[in-house]
Amino acid sequence: MDVQTIVDECLELWRDPYPHLARLREEGEKPLAVFCSYTPEEIIHAAGFTPVRLMGAVRTITYADAHLQTYCCSLARTDLDMALAGELDFLEGAVFVQTCDTMMRLSDIWRRNTDFPFHGDLVLPIRMGEDVSLPFLVEEVHRFRRSVEDYVGEAIWDDALEESIHVYNRNRRLADRLYKLRTTSPGVLDGLSATACLAAGFWMRREKHNEMLHELLEGLDTGGQPGRERTPLLVSGSVCTTPDLVELLQELGADVVDDDLCSGHRYFDNYVDEADTPEEALARRMWGRVNCPAKHQSIEDRVEHLVRQVQDSGAAGVIFYLQSFCEPHLFDVPYLRERLQKELDVPSLVLESELQSFSRGQLRTRLQAFLETISGV
Amino acid sequence: MSGNGKELTEKEKADKERRKIKSAGAMRDLMTKYYMEAKGAEGTDRHIAWITSGAPVEPLIAFDVIPVYPENHGAMCGAAHMNVELCEVAEGRGFSRDLCSYARGDIGSAMTKGGPIGGLPRPTFLVACNNICNTVFKWYEELARFFDVPLFIYDTPFVRGELPQHIADYSLRQMEEYMALLEKVTGRVYDEQRFIDVAAKSLIAGELWSQVLACNEHRPAPMTCFDAFILMAPIVTLRGTQEVVDFYQGVLEEMKQRIEEDIGILPTEKYRVLWDNIPVWYEMRNLGRLFMELETCLVADTYTSAWTFSGVDAERPLASMANIYAEVYLNINLERMADKIESLATRFGVDGMIMHSNRSCKPYSLGQYDLAKEFTRRTGKPALIIEADHTDSRWYDRAQIENRIRDFVENLLGESVSV
Ligand code: SF4
Ligand code: SF4
Repeated sequence: MDVQTIVDECLELWRDPYPHLARLREEGEKPLAVFCSYTPEEIIHAAGFTPVRLMGAVRTITYADAHLQTYCCSLARTDLDMALAGELDFLEGAVFVQTCDTMMRLSDIWRRNTDFPFHGDLVLPIRMGEDVSLPFLVEEVHRFRRSVEDYVGEAIWDDALEESIHVYNRNRRLADRLYKLRTTSPGVLDGLSATACLAAGFWMRREKHNEMLHELLEGLDTGGQPGRERTPLLVSGSVCTTPDLVELLQELGADVVDDDLCSGHRYFDNYVDEADTPEEALARRMWGRVNCPAKHQSIEDRVEHLVRQVQDSGAAGVIFYLQSFCEPHLFDVPYLRERLQKELDVPSLVLESELQSFSRGQLRTRLQAFLETISGV
Repeated sequence: MSGNGKELTEKEKADKERRKIKSAGAMRDLMTKYYMEAKGAEGTDRHIAWITSGAPVEPLIAFDVIPVYPENHGAMCGAAHMNVELCEVAEGRGFSRDLCSYARGDIGSAMTKGGPIGGLPRPTFLVACNNICNTVFKWYEELARFFDVPLFIYDTPFVRGELPQHIADYSLRQMEEYMALLEKVTGRVYDEQRFIDVAAKSLIAGELWSQVLACNEHRPAPMTCFDAFILMAPIVTLRGTQEVVDFYQGVLEEMKQRIEEDIGILPTEKYRVLWDNIPVWYEMRNLGRLFMELETCLVADTYTSAWTFSGVDAERPLASMANIYAEVYLNINLERMADKIESLATRFGVDGMIMHSNRSCKPYSLGQYDLAKEFTRRTGKPALIIEADHTDSRWYDRAQIENRIRDFVENLLGESVSV
């Protein structure tokens, strides 16, 4: 496949992954939903399931309003709505990771009102990177593995798990190369393509995604000319459900050079140590990876990380792309913005997304205005 | 309703006086003294810790640190109709209007020293425990940056079903860490006897408080949960001290006395209703009036009973304390919450339940739709959900809510509910 075909396919998948997921089931795969980048997908993968990411959908809400208040993020609302509408019947089940209060309650609501065969819970500490929480986390990973084993009715052997860890680590290395290309060889791959090619991996077996990324990276002409000058930007936040934001930025003459998204860079940060025992190693990876705002390492770690990313990528502006009503992210926005402005003189824009009332036109207007202020400097 | 808008007759006045809860005065004195002491400590070498309402406070008391509760202060600002302006200060700094209004108001108050008592005294360190929500640690991170003081996070993973051992172990390790931190901050050594003593007082106060609440099983109820919302301030802020034990002893005596003399809080009590979620602080007076007019007593709630503890084991004081804090009402799954609601409904003989869907508080509010259905399924009684915010009155639609409450109460009698 040539590069353009790969990119186009990934974009199409990102635009609407759901028909494709239904097809996976028809082809004999067993898709199991995950919501959060902290899920130890390797365990699910080793048990023979295909972990697939649910990131909401642009849709009007019909069923979920009977269970969730409207002051709740649209990821939770639209995901639940799809499940209740029977549109996710191809799923084997779902795994809920405790991050925010919404996910914590959504797990119970989902379990009570759907009848997928499998329901998994993983309760994470909020204190990461500190010795006090590691034994708890290792035990929680162990218990999660047990719950999957109980469900499939047989053990997940360590060597199978090690194999899956290897596959996922390879995926992280490839993703890292994909992401770094934008700074090491500017112009070779634009932000939209890179982000799409990463996202596509959420909806296929990792081996397949690895092959795809490999083919893409081999096929790229890294010796080519740098493209025309575009305003370099960084996007920070939770997830981009659809390609619209990055696409619009591209249309408006900007390029996303890096991101701090849990559907992006945060997803593949840090490796699982293949020399360690699998459960311990899986726990250590989450514990040491770049923090999501629903976790705590220090009161400064997020800003330090973001400042470094902006400096390394050369971004001239930051777009905070969040879900309305999402506390973890909303709490961090004021200080992150202040510090970006103060330390780097980098302006930022806050956009809140509500998938049930998504408007591309409005998004475009806001982005355009922001870009004008940047190029005006 | 007697004397509505008109002059009260002598008899009505006497009756009103008779029904008034006398301990409210003692409570005000206690809280005033507490806030004056806390404010007076600012700038001295006494340590002040800001702490979340569900966090273990006993260690602070045992180390003579003054605990200060932004949530209690938030309720106070809400009741004084001052929280909205404080929220607006925080919003001006970029905090979204969709964040918890306790947090917004507190950040606003820290920035401006605003509110009915001129803000809280500056902390020397912060203690946040996420057993009530995950909002608190984000909020306290912001405070830690603002005041440039250390933050201790006491992390309580969510409990589904029985408390698992690895959560208990993690909690115990953090209790030990907490003590080590306090030793470092205060320069004193951990005195286990002192801690047991404080924990025992906390437990006795919690026990007395639960007996106070249980008095409302009586008909007519000697108080409403609106009174309990006020009377709970000391158990939240000062548990572990002798004063609080004495105070609740007094409250309990008063309640027992009322029961003996058959003094109900309402002139007439026709319906008994269970309340769910944090009070609508700025609207307590109006709602109180409305319920009185509707001859409806809010006899129990899921909120005030969160501070009734049991089971501190003197042999393992830290571990048993840790377990209590791991399993508070907001840190357990919906089924366990439903059990709790059902047991309150049965014990207090309620005719229905009113749930406050509180925009500020997701752990308390998400799941209420399912809980309401479950409540009706289990008890056969109806439930009403009203949407508001505990201290941001901009979200409150008085006319609409009062109409809905009226309709609900009017339909309470003889209702047979099918699910
Ligand atoms: S977007 Fe925010 S509120 Fe929604 S599930 Fe994610 S972290 Fe929770
Ligand atoms: S979110 Fe709820 S539990 Fe948390 S501080 Fe606000 S009101 Fe309290």
